[in-house]
Amino acid sequence: MPSKNEFDVIIIGGGITGAGTARDCAMRGLKVLLIERHDIATGATGRNHGLLHSGARYAVKDSESAEECIRENKILRSIASNCVEDTGGLFITLLEDEEAGFGLDYQQKFIDACLRAGIEARAISPSEAREMEPSVNPSLIGAVVVPDGSVDPFRLCAANVTDAAMHGAKVLVYTEFIDFIREGDTILGVKVLDTRTGLKAEYRAPVTVNAAGIWGHGVAQKAGVHIGMYPAKGALLVFGHRVNNVVINRCRKSADGDILVPGDSVTVIGTTSTKIPFEECDHMEVTPEEVRLLLREGCALCPALASTRILRAYAGVRPLVADDSDPTGRSISRGIVCLDHETRDGVKGFVSITGGKLMTYRLMAELATDLVCRKLGVNQACSTAETPLPGSVDGRIETVSKRFEGKVTAGQKGAAGRQGDLAGKLRFDSEADKQLVCECENVTLAEIKYAVAELGVRTLGDLRRRTRVGMGTCQGTLCIRKAAKALAEALGDPSLESKLAADYLDERWKGMRAVGWGDTLREMEFMQRVYKFEKPYSYDEI
Amino acid sequence: MRFDVVIIGGGLAGTRAATELQKSGLKCILVAEGLSLNNCPKNEFKAAGGTVLQGDRVVSGVFEGNRLIRVFTEKLGNEPLEAGQFVLATGKYFSRGLVADMDKVYEPVFNLDIEYDSDRLTWFDPSFAAPQRFLEFGVKTSGGVALKGGVPIVNLFPAGEVLSGVSSAQGDATEQILNSAREAVRAIRRN
Repeated sequence: MPSKNEFDVIIIGGGITGAGTARDCAMRGLKVLLIERHDIATGATGRNHGLLHSGARYAVKDSESAEECIRENKILRSIASNCVEDTGGLFITLLEDEEAGFGLDYQQKFIDACLRAGIEARAISPSEAREMEPSVNPSLIGAVVVPDGSVDPFRLCAANVTDAAMHGAKVLVYTEFIDFIREGDTILGVKVLDTRTGLKAEYRAPVTVNAAGIWGHGVAQKAGVHIGMYPAKGALLVFGHRVNNVVINRCRKSADGDILVPGDSVTVIGTTSTKIPFEECDHMEVTPEEVRLLLREGCALCPALASTRILRAYAGVRPLVADDSDPTGRSISRGIVCLDHETRDGVKGFVSITGGKLMTYRLMAELATDLVCRKLGVNQACSTAETPLPGSVDGRIETVSKRFEGKVTAGQKGAAGRQGDLAGKLRFDSEADKQLVCECENVTLAEIKYAVAELGVRTLGDLRRRTRVGMGTCQGTLCIRKAAKALAEALGDPSLESKLAADYLDERWKGMRAVGWGDTLREMEFMQRVYKFEKPYSYDEI
Repeated sequence: MRFDVVIIGGGLAGTRAATELQKSGLKCILVAEGLSLNNCPKNEFKAAGGTVLQGDRVVSGVFEGNRLIRVFTEKLGNEPLEAGQFVLATGKYFSRGLVADMDKVYEPVFNLDIEYDSDRLTWFDPSFAAPQRFLEFGVKTSGGVALKGGVPIVNLFPAGEVLSGVSSAQGDATEQILNSAREAVRAIRRN
């Protein structure tokens, strides 16, 4: 009988690629271990626009990526319905674009390229565009409608992890890869460290998959393998409410800060692109120059951004990979990179899946799993493109809401929107369970209890990634105490409350510091008052 | 309308200064945007015979030499409030006593001289719990009066959190705030 530390495949990295690969492998009957050094979706997965690309952005320059995108776009709409919002998208042309050589001739070229890639794209008049999205820059001279949408990457990642676990995968978060177990030219497994207990462990499997995003560079190095990766930092800003309801892009050569995406209760502008050293990947700060650039470009898409409060700034790192076919290492592949290190480097039992994008994670997982299955001699077809993720089986709010007794509350509707049909698992046993903990995002105590019991939540950051608690317009100012208390109690250790709150406040503070002026600074002062002023004014003393 | 003193801001410092000045026999008006939280001290001021201009804010002022002679409010429009002495107790950023943009902090009503650092990267400590420098910024004073372009405005007395170095956002500053109000009261009585 195999030991509990032996698996068919070990996957390193709990981002969307690792989560998708774990799901695919588990669905094909493999015994899977997924390890992640922090929480799921803490790297690039949780640090992007949350844009459900139609592929239009790539249509002119990279038809292969565009075709991949639109295929996966359609698949995600059907298998991940509770993670996706069908906002539609606009590619607008401004006068300055025309002056830069991207006028209406380019627009026609863009539409033709979209149609060739299978992306529905149709030109509309500026006035039609303004009716479709009143916040759009009114001086636009042209617009194209495309099937863009928004996707909640946290929810998508969590759904993949949940489904992998439902198919028998073992998922270890806060478990850091330390080194490989190796015999000659064969990788036999991994040595890991539980970052919370400090305990070390070893796990064995005939195949290990490196799905660690930009950190995969270091993972490969431990196997003695070189992948030419380039960390490309992308900064984004989140605004205090949904300024637009339709994704707005610029119809020109892709550039910085030219995509504005509405998601849940906010709007996100991004991104920049800066090559950074590997050492910076773990602690990036958004610079004033990046903020200025994003604001300037954002206002060109949507002038209202100039007077909208900025909630926070954040940055992610794209795992760009140098093309193996180019010996200079200068040519970067934007596509999916799936490496069999046995054929490429003579290291057996080791596979890397990297490059790609959030949009194509499922395809990346399919390619990696196909390779794993070939190595294991398993002949099972991929079914992830047809099988809905948990939460999306029938995630319509009306259907889910029927499972709750009595009048459906805002919190229950919120949960149905986030957890899809899994919201039926929430227990509203008492009035307290119906109480809202986070009023910006309508998160109830019941949903927090569910997230702790079923979704592996241990910190307020984990809770935020599963439920959006503290992600809305107040950035946790009014709910963190309540959420910390509820979480500490659900974890069975009320003494954790202060530590949970303090860690979360530091994380929110980081995102606010980069945009700390104007109304954001007012919010920051308010936040300091709420959490630091322990002794209220007492007029008795006067 | 003419008063002895116009007190701008109905928080802890403003209500305290207004009540003491009114009780000492000066005719005062308190301009308070105001939360109902402050009703108790405002009522004390009213009981002493003071006038409260509730739900309004001072938007500009007119100077004559080194004196402020009248102010205009949002709601009264062209009707000025004139007085011999003024107290500025508008608080920090949240109450808009100070306004910050990307690389500067200013006092929005009179454009008074401000103590601050133009490098925004120095405004914050990465730890939320640590003291935050931006909360130390505020208007400068010389001999208790505000400065504008380096010149003392001899009848404009800042009090409370609008002052540089005074903040209750990071801990109890009640005594400091009340003391600054009392100092303004003493100086106005002397004037």
